[in-house]
Amino acid sequence: MDVTRRRFLKIAGLGIASLPLTRLGLNLGGAEAYAAGFKLEGTKEVISICPFCSVGCHIIVHVRNGRMVSTEGDPDYPVSEGALCSKGAAMLSMHKEDHRLTKPLYRAPYSDHWEEKSWEWMLDRIGRRIKDTRDRGFIRRNDKGQEVNRVDSIFQLGTSQMDNEECALSHQFLRGLGVVHIDHQARI
Amino acid sequence: MTNHWIDIKNADAILIMGSNAAEHHPISFKWVLKAKDKGAAVIHVDPKFSRTSARSTLHIPLRSGTDIPVLGGMVRYILENGLFEKDYVVEYTNAAFIVNDKYGFNDGLFAGYDADKRAYDKKLWAFETDEKGIPKKDKTLKHPRCVFNLLKKQYDRYDLDTVSKTSGVSKENLLTLYKTFGATGKPDKSGTIMYALGWTQHTVGVQNIRLAAILQLLLGNIGVAGGGINALRGEPNVQGSTDHCLLWHILPGYMAVPRATWPTLADYNKANTPVSHDPMSANWWQNKPKYLASLLKGWFGENGTKENDFGYRMLPKVEPGVDYSYLYIFDRMYNGEINGGFVFGTNPLQSAPNSNKNRAAVDQLDWLVVGELHHTETSDNWHRPGVNPNKIKTEVFLLPSAHRVEKSGSVTNSGRWIIWHDMAQKPIGQCRSMGEMIVDILNQVRSLYERENGVYPDPLKKLDWPAYYDSDDMAQRINGRFLKDTTVKGKTYKAGDQVPSFGALADDGSTVCFNWLYSGSYTKEGGNKAKRRDLNQTAMQKNIGLFPNYSWCWPVNRRILYNRASVDLKGKPLAPQKAVIKWTGKGWEGDVPDGGWPPLATGKGRYPFIMRKHGFGQIFGPGRPDGPLPEHYEPVESPLTKNPFSGQFNNPCFKKTSNEMDALAKPGDKRFPIVLTTYCVTEMWCGGGETRNTPNLLEAEPQLYVEMSHELAKEKGIQNGDPVLIESARGSAEAIAMVTVRMTPLQIEGKTVHLVGMPFCYGWTTRGVGDSTNRLTASIGDPNTGIPEYKALMVNVTKAQRLRELQA
Amino acid sequence: MPMTFLIDTSRCTACRGCQVACKEWNDLQANKTRQRGTHQNPPDLNPFNYKLVRFAEYKENGKVVWYFFPDQCRHCVSPPCKEAADSYVEGAIIKDPKTGAVIFTERTRLLKPEQVEEVISYCPYNIPRLDTGTGILAKCTMCNDRVKRNMLPMCVKTCPTGTMNFGERSKMVALAKKRLAELKKDYPNAQLQDPDDVNTIFLLTEDPKKYFQKVG
Repeated sequence: MDVTRRRFLKIAGLGIASLPLTRLGLNLGGAEAYAAGFKLEGTKEVISICPFCSVGCHIIVHVRNGRMVSTEGDPDYPVSEGALCSKGAAMLSMHKEDHRLTKPLYRAPYSDHWEEKSWEWMLDRIGRRIKDTRDRGFIRRNDKGQEVNRVDSIFQLGTSQMDNEECALSHQFLRGLGVVHIDHQARI
Repeated sequence: MTNHWIDIKNADAILIMGSNAAEHHPISFKWVLKAKDKGAAVIHVDPKFSRTSARSTLHIPLRSGTDIPVLGGMVRYILENGLFEKDYVVEYTNAAFIVNDKYGFNDGLFAGYDADKRAYDKKLWAFETDEKGIPKKDKTLKHPRCVFNLLKKQYDRYDLDTVSKTSGVSKENLLTLYKTFGATGKPDKSGTIMYALGWTQHTVGVQNIRLAAILQLLLGNIGVAGGGINALRGEPNVQGSTDHCLLWHILPGYMAVPRATWPTLADYNKANTPVSHDPMSANWWQNKPKYLASLLKGWFGENGTKENDFGYRMLPKVEPGVDYSYLYIFDRMYNGEINGGFVFGTNPLQSAPNSNKNRAAVDQLDWLVVGELHHTETSDNWHRPGVNPNKIKTEVFLLPSAHRVEKSGSVTNSGRWIIWHDMAQKPIGQCRSMGEMIVDILNQVRSLYERENGVYPDPLKKLDWPAYYDSDDMAQRINGRFLKDTTVKGKTYKAGDQVPSFGALADDGSTVCFNWLYSGSYTKEGGNKAKRRDLNQTAMQKNIGLFPNYSWCWPVNRRILYNRASVDLKGKPLAPQKAVIKWTGKGWEGDVPDGGWPPLATGKGRYPFIMRKHGFGQIFGPGRPDGPLPEHYEPVESPLTKNPFSGQFNNPCFKKTSNEMDALAKPGDKRFPIVLTTYCVTEMWCGGGETRNTPNLLEAEPQLYVEMSHELAKEKGIQNGDPVLIESARGSAEAIAMVTVRMTPLQIEGKTVHLVGMPFCYGWTTRGVGDSTNRLTASIGDPNTGIPEYKALMVNVTKAQRLRELQA
Repeated sequence: MPMTFLIDTSRCTACRGCQVACKEWNDLQANKTRQRGTHQNPPDLNPFNYKLVRFAEYKENGKVVWYFFPDQCRHCVSPPCKEAADSYVEGAIIKDPKTGAVIFTERTRLLKPEQVEEVISYCPYNIPRLDTGTGILAKCTMCNDRVKRNMLPMCVKTCPTGTMNFGERSKMVALAKKRLAELKKDYPNAQLQDPDDVNTIFLLTEDPKKYFQKVG
């Protein structure tokens, strides 16, 4: 048995040969027509992982022209064997842009609205706020005269949504700044 | 998890307690049902009858916060009826260790309690040691102060009557549970425990889990297939984010954060590196200085020199005794002591306890950076219902984040498997990965310090920080590299080569490694092992579903931790029909053993619990701040006025903050007679941002509800589907009543106690779904972790006259 | 040989992977719903939910039981809906001779309102739903497009527990009988629902009426 590759669970004993798509033209009538225009036609598969619980179900993302067109469970992941729960099953619509943030947004002090800003503008302004707060709040030595090199007036919350590689950098980022008010979902 | 998801199928009995696995880890039930098909009993102990209970052999309702009585009763039953695995207990646990004569326990308090400090002097709980410093043992288990007898004494009070009237569990159900799970104490049987936030989110959270671990040690269920103490981690990468320690108190790889009292690396190493004089103890943490030096070299690169302790001197140092976690962050923010910060991929104004206080706290910030997929109750706090934005000063930067399929990288599943996902599509719009965000932000700050200088710029200037985010490069750095040509086990590596495993890491600054546990995941020989998709396994491995060639798991691809406890002293499997490892006379077969030493009987072996200083499973745990043995304390808010087990009502060390928004109900407070427990629901995720913005999921669970029994509903004049108001000492929430047979009123100390349950995923930024359940919960937490007590609070419920938050 | 679903309700955890996967594959819009005191949502099958997990709970002799019923079209061996539609509009409802899938085509739009009502009333399982926007009748398609390509229907592919099964009819009937025999030990009232008449066979542990009124 080929245990290294079992992509697409095969239907047990199915006697119907899959038709090449070229044979599924518009002239086909009846039931054949309702199986034509297959949405996975011309897609490539990319393996992703469900962004929810720590079972880590693998998901096949079907991609056409650089955009995802469908998602389903990956049978090769031995834990899930292609299964998904309702959240994992919703990966396609979850990624759609009609409900997501797509641009950097800025809210000025005392303002009642968001403003669209460029990334460059945002980074510039964020950098300034961090530096000013750090410079103002940095503690070289505590009351006992011990060297502590920290800033108590800046915090970070998050996140287990980060990949391991992002987490590793995030930790380095925070200790580099001198931040100690650090927490995330592992504690809630 | 000590074990992994697939391994659940190997269990002879499954205890799901403090977890609603079928709802929150739905795919776990693939493996639970496989075990059940083979005859395993599945027992679900939980206040609510859930989808998990529906597929379990037996559901046992208990009052939230009484897990220790129920489990303590099981310890008593197991000891009384001789169900424990004697050889395992004597050889592999610290049951035989003798505790010094200053130790004691009296009316709910252990020896050494200081009421002013609300803390113990743990020195009084130390083991008696011989002249070499090795703990004295009595393998006959007769010594009155050996751990085994202290355990017996501790749980002697946990008789069926007291446990039943405290927890509300019938004696019949208790006995069924005890007999069923106790039967796994036979050497060839195993039982697994699946737990989650239902255990951690209590002011006795860690002690809940300690007691489960004690039970599993007594029954010989640690290290074996179908056994273990299995935390079903929530969140997509909470295992990985914990391993990389995005937490104030630890550095990547579970090493303590530097303190003000450890100014130099030598001070740190002296304080944090355990020493064992027992030649049979591997005492793995003796290697800590190598792991820390390699981490520091990773952070500071060539700027981490011997002179500056590889950069250690520049690191922030915390004050001993000060807690910097969630509860205290919000408390200090409320008091105006915190001015700005970052919130990435989390929604604390929805998911942290006491939302009203936290929302007011965030108003005090000068600036806030939020990296997110959607608007959240945190990013949009400045225009929440009832506040005037013109009065709120916070400057908010809302950065659009790439979603999972829009980036590549690895996450770690609950079974410690590191698994890689590829980028399927580029981020939509102007979205960027959080990796890009933090790299760019810090580069911006660094350039400002380069240009303008500022206060102590050294650590910023000296960081070895990338110019742009590259997940593959970071994965390599996490594994670790040699900085000079090195020969390991006869094989020569060049400077710049990947290290083969953490065995190659050094304390002299010649290696870098961002996380020693992940060392071996991305090697010169094997490439990026998180990408491995090879399902091949030997017959022995296949028998228990080990899949050692699929991805890679920490540490060193060991799939079942402490697996040398699955064999006898000669290396023979205790359960041959589901062996994890076995000694062939030359080496070990099966899983990667906990160190390759030969079996203990050869005299050249090492005790199996290698991460413990002495090498033994800790039935007695003298390192915990709130006691070496778990003891029942009432939740901070409780329907009772007296703890049935002692004169000490609450955990004497629980954490709390105290300002005007931190009100608590008194014991037995008549204003709030109903127990509230909070939880997730299958179709929503935690604070709910990702899922309630996904229309197909919101359709399935559209609005905030409160589950309650028919008996309570009748008492309160509430019909199914009615809008109701839930109030605690801190706030109120509006919800739809779900009146159900699945909630059971319990008889506690002769009185009826009602319990209600609510999800916490609904927030005001999604119109008409309701708002934060955590407006009801309190800023109180476990003494070990600070994890808040979300699971047991006191509320009142009344029929609502008018809908506000739940309007369509 | 037609294809058949076996839905073993004794294994269902109501994770609703099937319900959502169906919507995603078929690109069905979300309904605006509200909480009515139950986890069952949407309340019923509708033109945008071909698959719906129904919940029913009871307390019997002090013991709580909770039934889950992942409802869908039965793809009848001799579909009465097709019989009704054929007399008015040819090709409105067709049956794939190879897979046995009963398919509502776009031509259902040509059915007059009273004819639509008749088609719906002919279904013993109350499955067809009218999309009032397009005038098309809607229900489960058996993912005929996938099945034709040797792929499992999305609901079956997504199911974690072995509740949803799919394959050649003879194999599914054999599996149904085997599972029924096993279940009988613990559930003396266990039964298969109309196994001779349908290609979606439900395996139930109790009287069908306990799952919901329209089951049988």
